[in-house]
Amino acid sequence: MASHIDIDSIVSNPAADIALQHEVEQFYYREALLLDNIKYEDWFALLDDDIHYYMPIRRNAMQRQGRARSSDLAEYTNQHEFAHFDEDKAAMAGRLKKLLSDFSWSENPASRTRHTVSNVMISKGEEENTLNVCSSFIVYRNRLETQVDLFAGERHDVLRRADNKLGFKIASRVILIDQSTILSNNISIFF
Amino acid sequence: MNAEGTNNPAWSNEEIKKLVSDENGILDARIYNDQALYELELERVFARSWILLGHESHIPNTGDFLNTYIGEDPVILVRQKDASLRVFLNQCRHRGMKLSRDDAGNAKAFVCSYHGWAHDISGKLVDVPFEKQGHCNRLDKSEWSPLQARVDTYRGLIFANWDKEAPSLDEYLSDSKPYIDIMFNRSAAGTEAIGGIQKWVVPANWKFAAEQFCSDMYHAGTMSHLSGIAAGLPDGVELKDVDIPTNGNQFRAKWGGHGTGYYIDEPGLLSAIMGPVITEYVTDSPQARIASERLGSEMFGQRVLAQHMTIFPTCSFLPGINTIRTWHPRGPNEIEVWAFIVVDADAPDHIKEEFRKQNIRTFSAGGVFEQDDGENWVEIQKVFKGNKARKTKLNLQMGLGDSRTDHPDFPGRIGGVYNEDAARGLYQHWLRMMTEPSWDTLKP
Repeated sequence: MASHIDIDSIVSNPAADIALQHEVEQFYYREALLLDNIKYEDWFALLDDDIHYYMPIRRNAMQRQGRARSSDLAEYTNQHEFAHFDEDKAAMAGRLKKLLSDFSWSENPASRTRHTVSNVMISKGEEENTLNVCSSFIVYRNRLETQVDLFAGERHDVLRRADNKLGFKIASRVILIDQSTILSNNISIFF
Repeated sequence: MNAEGTNNPAWSNEEIKKLVSDENGILDARIYNDQALYELELERVFARSWILLGHESHIPNTGDFLNTYIGEDPVILVRQKDASLRVFLNQCRHRGMKLSRDDAGNAKAFVCSYHGWAHDISGKLVDVPFEKQGHCNRLDKSEWSPLQARVDTYRGLIFANWDKEAPSLDEYLSDSKPYIDIMFNRSAAGTEAIGGIQKWVVPANWKFAAEQFCSDMYHAGTMSHLSGIAAGLPDGVELKDVDIPTNGNQFRAKWGGHGTGYYIDEPGLLSAIMGPVITEYVTDSPQARIASERLGSEMFGQRVLAQHMTIFPTCSFLPGINTIRTWHPRGPNEIEVWAFIVVDADAPDHIKEEFRKQNIRTFSAGGVFEQDDGENWVEIQKVFKGNKARKTKLNLQMGLGDSRTDHPDFPGRIGGVYNEDAARGLYQHWLRMMTEPSWDTLKP
């Protein structure tokens, strides 16, 4: 299964209270600000030790009785199959090391990105101190002289309460990207 | 240019022959950026060569199919009732609509979504709606099935070729088979594909990708992948502490443009890419020893490391890393990469999982190695927009004249690991495909 978040239960559950909604949205805005300003180490500090950063591959699948997407996930590769990202903390630390190496040509000069996060819907997490959060993103990337990439998709996060300035760490992020063939020469940015 | 691209082409054979010099190691950059040459390539290279479409394990059961491409032609690869394979153009002969539009699946028939012309899984037209009323029995359905390609396999890999006159796949692979076997013949169980094909677009000419996997160990340890290597270093080890190997070879196929290169005994680069678990599996495990027995030597089974390889034109893979991909051309300035991962079918589950994870981490659209390959090729392609830059003479001279055919351990034409002999072989074969119309002169 590509994601632990059940669309039906999100839709049928009441909206989160306004203070929590505000807090989570502000967390995302600040997280986006870090990414867009290439503050790699500060962003990395938001990943909890058990982080699972995962982007399955999206496929073109025929609908059968209207099913292919959220209902049976036939569109997505499963956890035993290939993925765009399937990273734990150590693998993410390696990616950070790459970015800080001065030789990371795909991000040196760095991409200019704009992470826009919206449609934030919060439900209770499985653990006591966690939230399941479903959101939409559009990431614009402009690179070097004229390269432009546009990525859109859905993020299914588990946020865990943390004793840091932003109040949360990311325990899990499933990125459901809205492209089957990735329309870019690489995915050297984070979502 | 005329439709066939052969009778009155924009490029004469004499002009094309001046673009590549195997003897002097010089390339004309127009081979990477000229639209008219590309149109000829589709006709003379892609419609005549064996193109990798997938792995047997992608389509194990009757009716299993995969939608893929030969060049820019969409084709359907289908498993038949008798377990054989068919490849046919994904195009209805009525108005040209696609017959199948999902990436893969299982089909009992392929029915055009336009007017409903129905085809069985072998690609034969079997039913035309209102045939009696509309055609009054004048339609001979046997004349109107989509074009079939030849299909053949080598150690689980499925290739197809439009050209009835082309040599068999076995002949086509020429003397490169022992080097392919290092990845695909390690165990009696063979290999299997991990599910999922990753696809992405690289705005660069297909030959950059094909050549790099054929012949270019040079970029890995010099500049391109330093940050990728850094990403896999254990804590406390710095880039400056890493010894980049120098001991190894390159092989250039005697025919066909195929090539490979590898380090010997020095696991540094492989370990930086795949980590200790896979490095041990490949070099020092019960399975590695079985591979040595099957491949006839410890050299082939356990000591050839961080290997790169291309089967001309667009099938590339990295033994020991186990990514394999087809570089589907999309004009002179763009590739679609279709990549998947293979593992020994009898590898322990934790090894299969480790191959999966390390490939995602390193050799994929987001991989810490592959990210930077895309960067180089794309920038080169942009430079070619320049009037001078697009026809620059490029240097392809490394290792010129150094290869020999009497190496005690490695059959075929062998040179040093930092070398461009295999690349010269690839471009020389490209030149022959582009300028020799008949297999009478071209054949192995």
